[in-house]
Amino acid sequence: MDSSITNEELHHSEHEHTHDEEGNKMFGFIVFLLSETFIFLGFFTGYIVYKTTTPNWLPPGVSGLDIRDPAINTVVLVSSSFVIYLAERALLRHDLLKFRQYLIVSISMGTYFLVGQGIEWSHLSFGFTTGVFGGMFYLLTGFHGLHVLTGILLQIIVFGRSYIPGNYDTGHFGVNSTSLFWHFVDVIWIVLFFLIYIWK
Amino acid sequence: MKIRKILLLSAIAIALTAVSLWIGNQAYSWLPPQAAAESQLFDKLFSFLVTLGAFIFLGVTGTLMYSVIFHRAAKYDFSDGPPIEGSIKLEIVWTAIPIFLVFWIAGYSYLIYEQMGIQGPMEAVHIHIPIGMKSASAAPLHKDVVKKHRYTKKERKHSKTQKTHTGKNSLTTISTVMPVEDIEVHAKQWAWIFRYPKTGVTSTKLHLPVNHRIRLAMQSEDVLHGFYVPAFRVKQDIIPKRNINFEFTPILPGKYRLTDSEFSGTYFATMQTDVIVESPEDYKKWLAEAVDGKPRIANNQAASEYAQESKKLIKGWASVAPAQASVVNSD
Amino acid sequence: MTNIPVKNIGITAEIPHYKPTNWKRYFSFSTDHKVIGIQYIVTAFILFLVGGIFAMVMRGELITPESDLVDRNVYNALFTMHGTVMLFGWTFPILTGFSNYLVPLMIGARDMAFPRLNAVAFWMVPVAAILLMVSFFVPGGPAQAGWWSYPPVSLQNPTGNLINGQVIWLLAVAISGVSSIMGAVNFVTTIFKMRAPGMTFFRMPIFVWNVMSAQIIQLFGLPVLTAGAVMLLLDLTVGTSFFDPAKGGNPVLFQHFFWFYSHPAVYVIILPVFGVFSEIFPVFARKPLFGYRIVAISSLLITAVSAIVWVHHMYASGTAGWMRLLFMLTTMFVSVPTGIKVFAWTATIWGGKLRFDTPMLFALGALIFFVFAGITGITLSSVPIDIHVNNTYYVVGHFHYVLYGTVTMGMFAAIYFWFSKMTGRMYYEGLGQLHFWLSFIGTNLNFFPMHPLGLQGMLRRVSSYAPEYEVWNIISSIGAFMLGVSILPFILNMIGSWMHDKPAPKNPWRAIGLEWQVSSPPPVENFDEIPVVIGEPYAYGKSEPLVAERK
Ligand code: HEA
Ligand code: HEA
Ligand code: CUA
Ligand SMILES: [Cu+2]
Repeated sequence: MDSSITNEELHHSEHEHTHDEEGNKMFGFIVFLLSETFIFLGFFTGYIVYKTTTPNWLPPGVSGLDIRDPAINTVVLVSSSFVIYLAERALLRHDLLKFRQYLIVSISMGTYFLVGQGIEWSHLSFGFTTGVFGGMFYLLTGFHGLHVLTGILLQIIVFGRSYIPGNYDTGHFGVNSTSLFWHFVDVIWIVLFFLIYIWK
Repeated sequence: MKIRKILLLSAIAIALTAVSLWIGNQAYSWLPPQAAAESQLFDKLFSFLVTLGAFIFLGVTGTLMYSVIFHRAAKYDFSDGPPIEGSIKLEIVWTAIPIFLVFWIAGYSYLIYEQMGIQGPMEAVHIHIPIGMKSASAAPLHKDVVKKHRYTKKERKHSKTQKTHTGKNSLTTISTVMPVEDIEVHAKQWAWIFRYPKTGVTSTKLHLPVNHRIRLAMQSEDVLHGFYVPAFRVKQDIIPKRNINFEFTPILPGKYRLTDSEFSGTYFATMQTDVIVESPEDYKKWLAEAVDGKPRIANNQAASEYAQESKKLIKGWASVAPAQASVVNSD
Repeated sequence: MTNIPVKNIGITAEIPHYKPTNWKRYFSFSTDHKVIGIQYIVTAFILFLVGGIFAMVMRGELITPESDLVDRNVYNALFTMHGTVMLFGWTFPILTGFSNYLVPLMIGARDMAFPRLNAVAFWMVPVAAILLMVSFFVPGGPAQAGWWSYPPVSLQNPTGNLINGQVIWLLAVAISGVSSIMGAVNFVTTIFKMRAPGMTFFRMPIFVWNVMSAQIIQLFGLPVLTAGAVMLLLDLTVGTSFFDPAKGGNPVLFQHFFWFYSHPAVYVIILPVFGVFSEIFPVFARKPLFGYRIVAISSLLITAVSAIVWVHHMYASGTAGWMRLLFMLTTMFVSVPTGIKVFAWTATIWGGKLRFDTPMLFALGALIFFVFAGITGITLSSVPIDIHVNNTYYVVGHFHYVLYGTVTMGMFAAIYFWFSKMTGRMYYEGLGQLHFWLSFIGTNLNFFPMHPLGLQGMLRRVSSYAPEYEVWNIISSIGAFMLGVSILPFILNMIGSWMHDKPAPKNPWRAIGLEWQVSSPPPVENFDEIPVVIGEPYAYGKSEPLVAERK
């Protein structure tokens, strides 16, 4: 860590920069995530409105969603948030080996979730165009799934970059933002899970 | 000095008020005839808003114009003006006054809206300011109209046949004071059809008995449409797969224009017809004649334009075909 | 008495750091916020001409009651594209352009926080614009459902093609939305993190305050529109049933999605213009901005209130009575923070030493139009009034007074005001004055008649109308052509003065502000040395300096 600080100072005095790039990037990223939250809020509100006003909410022949597998999925995804946190901690200690191990675990947990989701989709008796319920279900889970996929890709990039020598000398923006994104994806899923599977 | 200033200011304020009141009074002449009870309510509110608006507009622009004329810098005077940075007192005043005005305008609009009661019983608002209600009576029929929120859901269903239950919130008083006429409105791309449920008559023109509360049940076959009669000052979108209730009271016999007010595609502009407000006797007579009218295919401008080769300078693209022609008893 | 010595008036600047003659960089992927700013402004102006030509054809059609000039669906396409191009192609980009150019200069930064993101965001605008133009040439023509694209009309696809005008329209709007979100992230970060030492929030120029307030709206509003647009696109292409009532969907929900953004969007548009007013009035009145702090805060108040008023566009939809009345009250409350600003400007002008150069004329004209439009807006927010005039020309009159009278005129004020800063050249005053008077009269002729027309019941979005509306429509069309002509002296002025040799002074208006302390045009990284701010932004008539003396 020490080395990175001096490096940053050097960088600054050389180019007479008065702002810190890392801080800006993180700030901007948080602003972006807050903004992104509103897309989901929009979809959630849509879901709530449809669910409370559509006369025949569930498609014919569907009595409800199976909750067991999604519940396991949920546990896996939420726990992966802790794993990526551990990875971050390891990086702070400059323990690159642990860092990579935790990342692999977190990536696998995310992948498990995605595959689980795919299996669930393939067993469902209704499709994207089956009424408003079908549309909303696939829209929400699909849009969230895209975010999980993005999170996994980001983690793979971070993982790969850990092999570049000196990559973390100027800061941990990439890792921190990936981790933040991953937490974000988790929180969204918890709300989603409640809306789709638990709320009857 | 100070007294002179106050006197001057009050003189200006009085002059401004007088001018604004005059403009507000003119507002009535900018509007179509007052053919419904709602028109009277609307015009009163509008005139009030125009008065207030004129006062604000003339006040602000008058001040600006005064500066423009009297506070110009001389050609070679490059000095600065007085470095006044603000005044807490003034700032509080001009925050407080708009807040007060907002409550005033909103309160008044609310009362007028309640009195119009256009959305029918189901949509009535259940917060009431009884004192205000009394003070703002204008429409001749309003004391009947404002009772409409008392209908219950069940009663509303039955009210089509006028056989209301005489429960706690009885309808009978209202029906006797003001007869209600139920009419169905069917909108489709791009035609209006009106159906009179008691007789089963269908028509492309809307006939209404004067001084009756009209209660419409509106439906659309395809896209959004809007029911709008400028002379009545009332408008309501019609949404497919929903039954939308709408009420108003025509008070002036005559012929008015009814238009579609929600953009509905290529021939939107042609989706117009006439409203004929007539005496109850004439209305009954028309209904009786229409019952015997032979069903025939209604004329439709959109359909004939669609069928015709376009003669315009700039030609367009493929268009949605008009809905199937309607069969009606009467035009 | 003044902190800008009179002897400096009319003195031309030192030689600028670089020559602006290298025009090629304006066509390149530059990351300099000043180049990007000008790229935005010029692109926006070209799109303004495109949208304006659509409007000319529309007014040509409307000069007679019959539908005789263009086919009905051409007319529908024209107003759809006119509204879309004007809003997404003209107002947003030009405001982003000015914000881009001015914010870093005004807060004492060398560039935006994310220069490359900035450039990417810009280049999406021409892409969206080209897409919109291409849609004129696909079978079935461009989108024809109005700029709101309400379903089910927007879902009706007479040709049955997958690639149709409506789909392209949605894509173009989505691209422009993504670009705006990128811009918003950039602006908010820049304003929060890149201010020069001493540039506290309450020393920022009001323009910066307003850009910040506007961009916050983009951040919470655009995503919601995106959600609705995605659902509409899926309905249109995949066959889902979110908004299609025939399949159990709810078309009114789309209206909520749309207006949840598109109402606040009008404040995204107007807020920077308020910023421009706040910069121009003190300069030409030679007085400090009256009530600086409360004017600054009122911008954020507008942002907050703007999020809870959207239903006033849907009073006549299937909206419940309680909702109509609730949103009536919230809508009217916008007049409070807005009133604070209007009164503050009036008080700033009052008793000043006024000069009426072109920027001041435009700003003053725009302010008067705004008061008028604001008041018609308040009448619209009253439910019973709106029930009558909704979807009539009264609404069209209201919003053109604000979109042309205030926003477009305000943008001209800004162009004249900062023209010398951006180009290092001075515009011709005479042409500027001509432009002003043509547009002032033209705007009134064009858009005032729309109010009586609307009150009489003339609907918007119609290519034919009842003969009794003809007279006002003729006047309106004449006004429109006059507005068209008014653009010619402007174009002449801009091109003529840009090519002119004589350099403009560094600070022709004797204005206070960091942007006026650098050369015209400013050097590549804006400041030789980041200034240390020690004074207030509008210290006219006082002798306190804005920045600390250099060591
Ligand atoms: C920049 C653009 C802009 C701005 C700033 C505004 C400002 C306002 N607008 Fe407008 N509006 C539009 C652009 C804009 N609008 C557009 C584009 C549409 C139509 C879209 C479409 O349908 O295609 C529209 C439509 C529209 C409607 C819907 C009409 C309908 O479709 O039926 C309504 C209704 O409430 C409305 C209200 C208002 C109000 C209350 C304000 C307020 O913000 C105004 C506040 C300002 C003042 C009030 C003046 C200054 C204040 C004072 C001097 C203080 C004292 C005053 C009082 C107490 C009254 N507008
Ligand atoms: C910033 C936004 C903006 C601006 C600046 C304008 C500018 C103009 N608009 Fe508007 N307009 C909208 C935004 C805007 N508009 C929106 C959002 C709608 C709603 C759309 C919908 O319903 O979906 C609308 C709708 C609208 C309508 C209603 C259509 C209908 O409902 O049927 C009309 C009708 O007159 C109109 C006219 C005009 C005119 C004449 C101008 C003029 O001010 C234009 C002046 C500019 C020029 C003329 C261009 C430059 C000049 C030249 C290229 C050279 C000279 C050319 C000639 C003389 C021919 N517009
Ligand atoms: Cu017919 Cu809208
Ligand atoms: Cu609005």
